[in-house]
Amino acid sequence: MGQQLAYRLMLSVPVLLGVLVFGFLLIKLAPGDPAMVIAGPTATPDVVEKIRQEMGLDQPAIVQFWRYMSRVAHGDLGKSMINNTSVFAELTSAVGATAELMVACLIWAVPVGIAIGTIAAVNQRGILDRGIMALSVAGVSMPVFFIGLLLLQYIGYKWQLLPFLGRGGPLWTPDGLAHVVLPALTLGFVFVGPVARMTRASVLDVLKADYVRTARAKGLRESSVIIRHALRNALIPIVTLVGLQAGYLLGGAVVTESIYSWPGVGRLAVGAILASDLPLAQGAILVLALCFVLINLIVDILYGILDPRVNRS
Amino acid sequence: MSSMTSPDAMSSSGTSGRRLTWLPRDPTVLLAGGMLVAIIALAVSAPWIAPYDPYQTGHIPFLPPSFMDGGSPDFLLGTDQQGRDLLSRLLYGTRNTLLTGFLAVLFGGGTGVTLGIIAAYFQRLDPPIMRCVDVLLSFPAILLGLSLAAVVGPGTLPVIIALSIAAIPDVARITRSTALVVMGQEYMEAGRAIGLSDSTLIVRYLGLNCIGSVFVFLTLRFGQVILIGAALSFLGLGVRPPEAELGMMASQGRDALFFAAHIATLPSLVIFVMVLCANLLGDALRDALDPRMRNL
Repeated sequence: MGQQLAYRLMLSVPVLLGVLVFGFLLIKLAPGDPAMVIAGPTATPDVVEKIRQEMGLDQPAIVQFWRYMSRVAHGDLGKSMINNTSVFAELTSAVGATAELMVACLIWAVPVGIAIGTIAAVNQRGILDRGIMALSVAGVSMPVFFIGLLLLQYIGYKWQLLPFLGRGGPLWTPDGLAHVVLPALTLGFVFVGPVARMTRASVLDVLKADYVRTARAKGLRESSVIIRHALRNALIPIVTLVGLQAGYLLGGAVVTESIYSWPGVGRLAVGAILASDLPLAQGAILVLALCFVLINLIVDILYGILDPRVNRS
Repeated sequence: MSSMTSPDAMSSSGTSGRRLTWLPRDPTVLLAGGMLVAIIALAVSAPWIAPYDPYQTGHIPFLPPSFMDGGSPDFLLGTDQQGRDLLSRLLYGTRNTLLTGFLAVLFGGGTGVTLGIIAAYFQRLDPPIMRCVDVLLSFPAILLGLSLAAVVGPGTLPVIIALSIAAIPDVARITRSTALVVMGQEYMEAGRAIGLSDSTLIVRYLGLNCIGSVFVFLTLRFGQVILIGAALSFLGLGVRPPEAELGMMASQGRDALFFAAHIATLPSLVIFVMVLCANLLGDALRDALDPRMRNL
């Protein structure tokens, strides 16, 4: 477990470093001399030179990169070029919304996927099995925005059942809860299919195991065999799957936020890229990368809890 | 002895060739394959069969499809908010979406196969290549897409590059593991014993024997590549207007969703059908070539 975790942690270093280097280059390669921009069009060359020295722009690239890294480490991501607000402040207010959306998605999608996957496995080759599997292939093949637009059009607009614009407030208030339902349904829909498929395969595998036969032989009820003995062991590949799908979750979150005007990091990133607001774009992408690394770390830790053999090796 | 001199006879695709023969009789494969071929044919022939110029504005805007109330028989699938014929735009859009996917799978798959085979054949290069692949694997496609769009601005090329890079690591890993199995076969040793050059061994013996399983994997991946590409376009990071692309068309239709839903729904539906067919086909191919995976 420790070793595994250490390797995964090490692998996350290049991701974060890569995003940092990219962020640095983004500002470095951007057209226009930042010192000239700050000094304004009427400034004399002396003044521009002074600003350049103050900003460290006369230093070699590697020194500049080091300074940039230390600034990022202190949470200083610069200022948004459009609003002149601190990028760090913008991101801290957005990251909560993204986390809320992801949690709200996983909280329904993973249990539902596990439940219908188990039902499919128990009824292998039956009508229920075929129906669930067909649904899950359809779910995997659906573009996130298609589901989002359908839900928005029918549940949000035509039937007016739920609000569909923005975030209502904290999750524990009725308004906040109502606002998160449609985005969470949209994002989760993509997730149910793979989880159901994986659950089905892994439960089918486990059902053949000796300990399941033993459990049946000692006369346990079938429901108890499935839930207590089979499902628990089948959970391990499912957790791995959630980790593997973290990238899709992230991509889905960016699209979902954009559809429902959900004020998260993904929407911020896309808006900043389209507006060429480089500091904000770079900060938002950095935070998205951090989210990705974090999801994978949580999955690795869960993996160790579910499968004690990982801890021992 | 004959198996030692003929690498093709020993290949994984050779043993599974028999299993592949039932594929054309499987109704799912027939239906999905037929649909996909039809869609590709329609997309390729877009310039000849499109009833209107996809960029020509000025027809009546927001026209619903002809089979709905208020539709006009002149515009089979209606018009968009700028009065452009939706059927023509869908044909051209499908063309662009498919082309993006194909190029990404071609570049990413090609690089992945090359890396995987080199890693398996030259064992000294294996650790460095595979560590780099591990690093690449930890970059999700959406982050690559966003980053590239931030650096060079939105466009088709950054989307293709991002999708290609994202496809490399999985393909490299699959190829490597397949190639390692092939490396252990006797005909590899025989080939080396009769003095074949590295390049012949790699291309004729190793490459041809790996390509089957990699192809199946790429079919499985094709749907996902299309989905991510369409998502990036939907976000406005892909092709630039007025170019037609399904993801971007869906995004443009958003503004008219509540009174002319077909503008956003039809392109989304085309993507859905294409990806569904690709996924069903990929699943069937995988089942046929590797029955152990059938439960997945």
